[in-house]
Amino acid sequence: MGVKEVIETINRMQSGGVIERYAIGGAVGATFYLEPVATLDVDVFVEFHAEPGSHIVSPEHIFKHLRERGYKMEVEYVIIADWPVQFLPAGTPLLQEALATAVEKDVEGTPVRVFTPEHIAAVALETGRAKDKARVLQFIEAGALDPERLKEILARHGLSGQWEKFERQFIK
Amino acid sequence: MKASIGRIQESKRAFRQKLANAPIAEKLQMLDALRERMLAIRRGSNAGAKRKAVVHQTPPATDR
Repeated sequence: MGVKEVIETINRMQSGGVIERYAIGGAVGATFYLEPVATLDVDVFVEFHAEPGSHIVSPEHIFKHLRERGYKMEVEYVIIADWPVQFLPAGTPLLQEALATAVEKDVEGTPVRVFTPEHIAAVALETGRAKDKARVLQFIEAGALDPERLKEILARHGLSGQWEKFERQFIK
Repeated sequence: MKASIGRIQESKRAFRQKLANAPIAEKLQMLDALRERMLAIRRGSNAGAKRKAVVHQTPPATDR
């Protein structure tokens, strides 16, 4: 049991039409580009649609599908292969772009969609907790980012100011 | 023996690079192991905190 089984489960949900496009972000996503980053959960970004007759987007159909197959829920997480998995809506323009431009990777024959390194860094910068800033630094130190591409993304989403502050604080 | 900070940093950087370049399936297995370790540490600290709480518990009042 492990992250690979989580990916296989998500792929089955996608091929079964339970979810549409998805991409992995957060620490698990970062691990596709960096050394493994210890984490307790898996962040899966998906497109949520409003329930019929409602304007509220809800992951309920995802939970229902998994509950019916015996998966346990813990608050906002679903436990898959012992991992708490959080299905998150791509609810901001940055996350929508990250989801749309995610890249396909291969884990021993299992396909998986992952945010680009620049989008993982941009989302981390926007989130702004200490551990998110540490992740951005990891990407920079590992040379795993295209700096120009990152700056374009940040400018498009109004994050240039946060980037300048981050640069002053940690890089310059 | 003289430790060189520069050499230590370089060796750490090289190790991190080696891990980053490992096959993704291997890195995901490392994530599984890291999570297990984090949970074990967390369980250990919680158990320690509970034991401490018992040691410092105020004895019940007696009817004297």
